[in-house]
Amino acid sequence: MRDAFDKFEAAGIKLYALSYDDQETLAEFAQKQGVQYTLLSDTDSRVIKQYGLLNEQLSKKDAFLFGIPYPGVFVCDEDGTVISKFFHDSYKKRESPEMLIDAALGHITIDETAPRAESSEDGIRITAALHGGNGSLRQGIVRQLVTTFDLPEGLHIYGEPVPQGLTATKIRVEGPDGLVTLPMEVPPTTPLHLEALNIDLNVWSGTVDLAIPLYPVGELVSECRPIDEREVEISVHITFQACTDETCLLPQTRTLSLRIELEEVDVPNLPIHTGHGQREGNYDSTPAMKRLIWRKVRKNPLRLLQFIWNRKRMERRSKRAG
Amino acid sequence: MLPVSIQDFDELWHIAVMKAERDELGFDAPAPVGHPVRASLPSDAPTGPAIGNRLPDFSLPDAFGRVINFHEDRGQSKAALVFYRSAVW
Repeated sequence: MRDAFDKFEAAGIKLYALSYDDQETLAEFAQKQGVQYTLLSDTDSRVIKQYGLLNEQLSKKDAFLFGIPYPGVFVCDEDGTVISKFFHDSYKKRESPEMLIDAALGHITIDETAPRAESSEDGIRITAALHGGNGSLRQGIVRQLVTTFDLPEGLHIYGEPVPQGLTATKIRVEGPDGLVTLPMEVPPTTPLHLEALNIDLNVWSGTVDLAIPLYPVGELVSECRPIDEREVEISVHITFQACTDETCLLPQTRTLSLRIELEEVDVPNLPIHTGHGQREGNYDSTPAMKRLIWRKVRKNPLRLLQFIWNRKRMERRSKRAG
Repeated sequence: MLPVSIQDFDELWHIAVMKAERDELGFDAPAPVGHPVRASLPSDAPTGPAIGNRLPDFSLPDAFGRVINFHEDRGQSKAALVFYRSAVW
C-alpha cells in the first residue's frame, strides 16, 4: 500500500485504512513507516459494527483479539457507491494495491517495469506479465499473472463454452512448490452467431487481458525465515485457437517463462516476529501492543488470564492431535 | 495475583503474547494455531454493503486526531476503504 500510494494519487483514488488501533499507534505507524494515506482509528469497533463486519467468531474471551473486522476492501465511485469489493478468506492474504486501482478504473494497467515475456507469431502477439507490487512475489499478497493477447483485426479467440472441434483459451501457470494459483479472471466475451453453421460462440477480439491471481505460501516465502532463493521461474502455458468468421488457424500452445523475484515481508516489530531475517518495522511495536491489550482488558483484567488459560488449553489440544 | 493496575499488568501481559506458534503457511501470530483468528475465515462471513449500494457514512479520528467524515473528505473522488486487522500485530 505504502509503495503504491503514488499510483492511487495519480489515478485520483483516495485511500483509507480502518482498524481498531488507537490514534497514537496509527500516528507512530504513519510516521515511522512513511504512510501517506488516511489511517482511521475505530477503537470501539463502532464503524466495523456499522458495516456489519465485526468478526463474531471471536468474543470478549479472546481479550485483545476481539473487535477486529473480517478483512476486506471496498472500492467506491465518485458518488460513494460500491463498484467492487474484495473480501479475504484469511487475515494473511490480500490483494495487490494495483488490483484495487484496476477495479476503480475498470481496466488493468500493467507497469512498464513489470517482469514480462512475449511471443509474436502468426501476427498474434502474446505477453505474459506479473502484475502488482514491483513485479515481485510477497507472502500473503495476491498478484496477477496477466496474459495479454493482441489480436489483429478480424481474428478472435474463444472463451468457454466452445462447440466441439474448437479450442477455448486456456492458461496454465507452472511454478515452484508453494505458489498457489486461483481461477482465471476474464473480461466478458462477445457473442458471435455464425449463420452458415448455425452456431453460437463466445469470443474475444482486439486486446484481451486474462488474469490468473497467484500468491506464495510458506514453502516458498515465509515471514519466519530468510528467503533462500531470490528468484524463481514461472512458466505460462497458453493454449488457444484464433479464427476469423470464415476460417481457423490450428489450435496452438505457447509457453512463456518469467524470472520472478521473491520479496521479504514487512513484519511488525514485536518479539514474536523479529529475528527471522525478514524486513522488520522501523520502530518497536511493543508499547502499542501493550496499550492495545490494556485497553481491551482493563475493565475486566481476568480476561487476560482467561485468554492465557484458553491458549494453554488449545496448545495442549493441538499437541495431542499432532 | 490479578493484574489490577497497569504496573501489575506490565508483568503479565507479555506472557499472553510473547509466544507464537507457527502455522503451515509459515506465519507466526500471538494466538495458537486452530484459534479462529488463525484459521481460514468462514466462506459465509459477512462482507458488508453490497455492490451498487452507497457506503454508509461515518466519522472517525485519523492518525493526527482530526475527525474525518468519510464522504466529505473523499469529496468527488473515487476511494478504496480498507478494513484490516491491526497495524500492531
